[in-house]
Amino acid sequence: MSPSTPKIASPEPARPAATEQRPQSEKPRWETPRMEDVSEQVMAQPYIRFT
Amino acid sequence: MRGAEAALSTRQIERLGAPLLVAWQITRDCDLACLHCCTESAPGKRLADELDVEESLRLADELIANEVPYVMLCGGEPLVVPHFLDLATRLGRAGVQLKIETNGQRLDARHIAQLATLPVRSVQVSLDGDTAGTYARQRPGASLEKAHAACRAVRAAGLPLEITFAPTRLNIHEAEAVIERARSLGAFRFNTGALMRIGTAARLWQRLQPSEEQYRRFRQMLERSARALANESLELCYTPFSMADGLRASVTEPPAMLLVLPNGWVKVAAALPQICADLRHDTLAQAWAHYRAAWRDPTVLAALERAIAEESRHADANRWQQPTPVH
Repeated sequence: MSPSTPKIASPEPARPAATEQRPQSEKPRWETPRMEDVSEQVMAQPYIRFT
Repeated sequence: MRGAEAALSTRQIERLGAPLLVAWQITRDCDLACLHCCTESAPGKRLADELDVEESLRLADELIANEVPYVMLCGGEPLVVPHFLDLATRLGRAGVQLKIETNGQRLDARHIAQLATLPVRSVQVSLDGDTAGTYARQRPGASLEKAHAACRAVRAAGLPLEITFAPTRLNIHEAEAVIERARSLGAFRFNTGALMRIGTAARLWQRLQPSEEQYRRFRQMLERSARALANESLELCYTPFSMADGLRASVTEPPAMLLVLPNGWVKVAAALPQICADLRHDTLAQAWAHYRAAWRDPTVLAALERAIAEESRHADANRWQQPTPVH
């Protein structure tokens, strides 16, 4: 497949968010967002650069 | 766990309890009517249903309670909003890092003095030209002198300065001069890339879009300048170069951010019209869950594929589609 026309991974059917679907005991442990994790990938998006 | 689901579960957005960044357009109103504007902002373009001061402060409190580390206040022009400083102060005093995006036309001593007391990571000023004539052609009615004065005031207060340059057929020949200007003003970053085909820019596309040859020379200049600035404090940021490039990267790793519109709606991506939440009615936790779900939604993924394949589809990005409840 050409790198310029990637295929999106086979879509999963829309489903409820994990936090709302699972019983309390199975809730995932969410990570707290931290400033040091604000990556270039987030900040270099064209929209963020240009707004 | 099936393969596709396992791959999705490793995404950063599936691990985080809240976004890393909230990009918050606090108004559609602006004191300028720039030809390349991606939000179609202009004087008098305030939306009738924008969040008011109480709603905005309530949302700020929710961002704080959810430990969102970084908030970008943008617009329109955020400084035309009377409660801009209250909002920045509420967030900043709670430890939220801030990025402020402004055209610099009305950034005065009062703003600067207050922002200097807050954890501001960046004041981003648009400099779309290095001569008054070119700058004003792309930003009718704007003063380059005022924008430069704002940049100097930002640096004099010890605040970090970031410059952005939106290339068009009108100004692309001055890009290199603006890089040098950014360096001399003490900016830490210069942002550019391909013009986004959204909003006013989409409407004026034939007039604004640089030619392939102009883009080729532009990219050569950026690469040359990046090498020349390798040991300087100014960073050049121009990749992913186009919106399509950015979307392509987002398919495998959606950005851990929420883009909040002036009325509290949350967009899935800047280049798409899909809305995944309404922060007037949804909590931030619900909006974040809806955002995660949206990046698995076949309709959204199909729209992404189309937007990657055909840039002209980005022109629909501001025809927002009503939030679809995710249950």
